[in-house]
Order: sequence, then structure tokens, then C-alpha cells
Amino acid sequence: MTIRGEAPGRGSPAQATDGLADLLGRIAARDAAAFSALYKATSAKLYGVVARILPRGDAAADALQEAYVRIWEKAGEFDPAKGSPLAWMATIARNRALDEVRRVRPGSLEDLPESFEPAADEVDPLAARERSEGLVKLLNCLQALDEEKRAVVLLAYYRGLSREALALRFGRPVPTIKTWLHRSLAQLRDCLAS
Amino acid sequence: MTVTPDDDFAAAEYALGTLDPSERAVMAARRLREPDLDEAIRAWEARLAPLAEAAGPIEPPRDLLPAIEARIRSATPEAPGNAAVASLRRSVTRWRAAAIAASIIAGVLAVGFITREATREAVPHEYVAVLQKDAASPAFAITVNLDTREFTVRPVAATAPPGKAYELWLIDPKIGAPRSLGVIAADSATRRANLTQYDRAVVEDATYAVTVEPPGGSPTGQPSGPPVFVGKLIPVGP
Repeated sequence: MTIRGEAPGRGSPAQATDGLADLLGRIAARDAAAFSALYKATSAKLYGVVARILPRGDAAADALQEAYVRIWEKAGEFDPAKGSPLAWMATIARNRALDEVRRVRPGSLEDLPESFEPAADEVDPLAARERSEGLVKLLNCLQALDEEKRAVVLLAYYRGLSREALALRFGRPVPTIKTWLHRSLAQLRDCLAS
Repeated sequence: MTVTPDDDFAAAEYALGTLDPSERAVMAARRLREPDLDEAIRAWEARLAPLAEAAGPIEPPRDLLPAIEARIRSATPEAPGNAAVASLRRSVTRWRAAAIAASIIAGVLAVGFITREATREAVPHEYVAVLQKDAASPAFAITVNLDTREFTVRPVAATAPPGKAYELWLIDPKIGAPRSLGVIAADSATRRANLTQYDRAVVEDATYAVTVEPPGGSPTGQPSGPPVFVGKLIPVGP
């Protein structure tokens, strides 16, 4: 998989990470040109994260916009010791998308129908060819889960499916999904810590 | 890390995204006051974040970058010396972007109010707003009864700035300069009826903003600086 514009220039994932971290440092000092370069290097990646969670209308574009405004505001808080620049940005973008998809709309069950949408391009991280060290470790731990339980975690992560939507998709009651999630997440936590 | 196992699961589900809207809003508010919980959420975000690498890129709409650049230009603080009112207005525009998160919390409150209201006589003209710094930082919730023009401000996650006070302002083009609604407490609910002098349309449309002031409130009768928390009302119930 070619990750378009992952960094200024081409190179190894590590070089790409250094490039993005450098851009974030300049953005923290209010360098607008660095912001533009960061956007060009990462927007397709972040849009790939939010658009899978918000497939309808302009919601994904709005979430991406909010995410980059926040990245501009918070660039100084990025800490390379705690993860890659892309992981940090993707977490911000994903949280914006989740806030939108989990917005309270009193009296509606708005996210139920989405579980019936055909999953045209489900992400299979196990098929990813470019893998950071962190992804390799996480994938090893994910592979230790049952296939169905792994699918629940991945659909929640990539598509932002709620417990209710997951219950419909897997034909299980919501409490079962909740139990699966808790067991799977505990297993992942322990595996990653080992 | 000292969170309970239940809280750690809630943190995990928050990071994964599977909490329902009200649970998510509660966690978003709690993490502001509970550093251990915030740390647990961040740890879970870090555990899951490598997955984002594997999400294939999708080209976003082309006109997005100029729109974002315009947003961050207007959000970058300008040199001091502007009139407080102008700076207040600009900040209000800037913070309007945080409305999505406000609606999360407000929605949760609204659900609570609707449930409550359904059990007694209808109180049709209650409005609610969440006053916040940004999308992740709700500080006060304000409820307004449009019939009596009485309001109640409750702290959600506000802590009093040392040696300072919070002052609430009503901002609307129809009334010109911001009008003070008085100093509000950061540790208990404040209830007042001093919206009675304003038209219903003003109370309904206005932006509610909180500034940090000397104890007792702004000495000039105008905000001393830009608001630290802002919000707009949404109706509760039918």
C-alpha cells in the first residue's frame, strides 16, 4: 500500500515520522507554511480515518476541518515519546468523528441503519504491508483474539460502530457485545504490556 | 494509574468509540476533573492508535485547506489593544465551532430534563446551554426559564481561578455591548432572575460568555478580557 504524501519527500516510515514531528514543532511556533505542508502530507490519511466513520454528507469534511484546527491549536502538546505524529493526529481526527457520530439526538436511533450498509471497503490491518513497530505488536495481539471478536474491535475502530450496531451485525444481544469488548480489550492490554 | 477496573473499561470503550452518547459525554466531562481517568483514556488511545496507519488514504474535498487556513487565521490571537468587546465578539465566533461538543452535553442534559419533565406538568419554555472553552472542556451548564427569565448556572467542571472570580455576560447585537449577569460561583449553583429586563428574543438568541475578573466582578462594567467559556441556548422539551 502506498501511503500518499505520508511525509515531505519519500523515505522510510521512520524518516516520515521525523519529518512530521519537525512540522508539528514548527506549527507549535505558529508557522503557517508548516501547517500547509502537514495538511498536504497527512490529510488523505486522516480523511481515510474519519470518512469511514462518517460516510454520509459533509460530516467527514467538517470533522476533518475541526481536527486540523485542533492540531493547529494543540501542536505544542505533541510528545514524540508517547507515539508517532500520525497516531497523535489520527487520534484527534478520530475523536472528532466519534463525537459527531455519537452526538446525542434525543429520541432518535440514528446510527442503527448504518449497520446495514454494505461494507465495501472494510479495513483489514492484517493485510497492511507497511507496518510500524507499534502496528506489528498490536496486530500480533489482535491475532490472538477469536476471529469474530477481532472483527468486533476492528469494526468499532474503523467504522465507529456502536454496541447496538455491532449487536445487529453479529446477531448477538448488546450485553454479549459489551462482554466481548471488555474481554478483548483486557486481552489486548495484557498482551501489549507483555 | 489508579482507576478502578470499571473505569479502565469505560476508558477503553471511550477510546474505541463504543460508549453510547450519554456515557461518552459523561466520560468527556469526567476526564477534565479526573487526571487518572484522563491518563487511562490516553493510554488506551495510544494502544489502539497504530490501527489508524492501516486505514487506506482517501482524498478529502479540495476546498478544505483554504477553509481551515481561514479558520486558524481568525483563531490566532492578535496583538493586545483591541477593545474588549471586539475581542469578545471574535472569540465568540471562534468558539461557535465548539458547538458540536456543546450539543453532546446539552443533549444529555436535555434528555435528563425531558425525562424529568415528562413526569410532572409540562414546563415548556426551558432552555439549556453548555458554556465551554473548547469541544472537550465543558465548564458550566446554564438553564433559562423563558417565562420567568430566571436562570441557573451550574458548574460542570469549573474550578475557581485563584484570587479571581467568574462573571457571566449576555452578548447579543440587539443590546449592543455585553451586559453583565453577575459573578457566578464555580463550586455551587447560582440562580438569578436578572434576565427580566431583556426581551425574549434577546435571551433566546444571545451568546452566554464567562470571563475571569477580579473578585466581585469587572470594575469597568465591561469584560476585562476575552471569554474563557461560551455557549448558546438550545430549547429543552417540545
